[in-house]
Amino acid sequence: MSNNNSSVGASSKARVGPSQPSETSFKRKRGVFQKDLQHMMYGFGDDPNPLPETVALVEDIVVEYVTDMVHKAQDIASKRGKLLTEDFLFLIRKDLPKLNRCTELLSMNEELKQARKAFDVDEEKLASAE
Amino acid sequence: MKHSKDPFEVAFEEIDDSPPDTPYTNDVTEAQTMAGHLTINSQRYDVENNINSLNQPRKAVKFSSTSTANKNKEEDDYEEEEENMDVELGRFSSTGDPDKMAKMQSILSQFTEEQMSRYESFRRSGFQKANMKRLLASITGSAKISLPMTIVVSGIAKIFVGELVETAKTVMTERKGTGPIRPCHVREAYRRLKLEGKIPKRSVPRLFR
Repeated sequence: MSNNNSSVGASSKARVGPSQPSETSFKRKRGVFQKDLQHMMYGFGDDPNPLPETVALVEDIVVEYVTDMVHKAQDIASKRGKLLTEDFLFLIRKDLPKLNRCTELLSMNEELKQARKAFDVDEEKLASAE
Repeated sequence: MKHSKDPFEVAFEEIDDSPPDTPYTNDVTEAQTMAGHLTINSQRYDVENNINSLNQPRKAVKFSSTSTANKNKEEDDYEEEEENMDVELGRFSSTGDPDKMAKMQSILSQFTEEQMSRYESFRRSGFQKANMKRLLASITGSAKISLPMTIVVSGIAKIFVGELVETAKTVMTERKGTGPIRPCHVREAYRRLKLEGKIPKRSVPRLFR
C-alpha cells in the first residue's frame, strides 16, 4: 500500500507541469537517482544492498526536498530577478554542516577552474614553443 | 561506482608539489578553519578531505594513462571531473593541517575492510550532474542551470540523504531491527527531521499526493 502511494505521488507530480513544449523534460521518470542513491545509502550506514522500495522512497523524499528548496530560493530571488547560488546559501545559512560543505565545494570549484586555466595556458605555451 | 577520466588528476599532482604560498592552500585552510567549528556531521566532511592522500595512489595509477587522450574534450568531461571533485580535491586541504592529516591516517589505517569500503562509498557517491541539472531545469522552468548551482544543490541533497539515512538507522536500532533499512524507518526518520525543522515547509500545500 505504501508503495502505491509513492508511485501515485510521483505520477501526479509528472503531470503537473507547464504545457509548453521545450527541451527540458517535465516528466519525472522513476529511479533517476537510483544507482547513485544505492551507493550513497550504503556509505551513510545502510546495507550494502538497500531495499529497492527504500531507495525509491528516499528518492521521492529527496526530489521533494530539492523541489521545495528551489521554490523557496526562487521566492527569495524573485525580488532581485535571477536565481543565484547565493539564494541557496542564504536558505541553508542556519544549517552549519550544509553551509560549510557548500562553501567548501564552491571554493574547490574555483580552484579547479584556475587549475584548468593554468593547464590550458601551459598547453598553449608548449604548442607555440614547438 | 563510476570512475571518470581525469586529465586534471595529473595536473593536481603537480599542483600539490608547488610552493606553499600558492592560492590553493590559502583557500583551503579557510575552509578547514570554518569546518573546525562544527558539529559532528560537518566534522565528517572536514575529515573526509584528508583521506585523499590514501585514495590518491590508487587513482593516480588508473587515470594518468588516459590524461592525454582526454585533454581536448568538451564541457561534458569537465563536468564529469567535477563529480569526483570532492574526492580529488581533498588533497588541497591535506596540505593545510598535518596534525589532522596524521589523525586521519591513523584512523584510516585501523579500518576494517568493510569500514573502508563503506567510507569509500561515502566519499565517492554523489548525484549525477546531468540528472540533477535536468531536475533543476524542470523545477525552475529555465533551461539553463549554472554548474555551481548544480554543485551546491547536489551537495545539499547528499547531506540531506545522510541525515535521513542516519536517522532511519537510529530508528531501526531503537526498534531492534536488523538488515537493510525499510521504508517504515525512513518515514519515521522523515517525520523526526520535520519536527527538528530540517525539512523546508511548503508554503503552498501539495494538492495531489
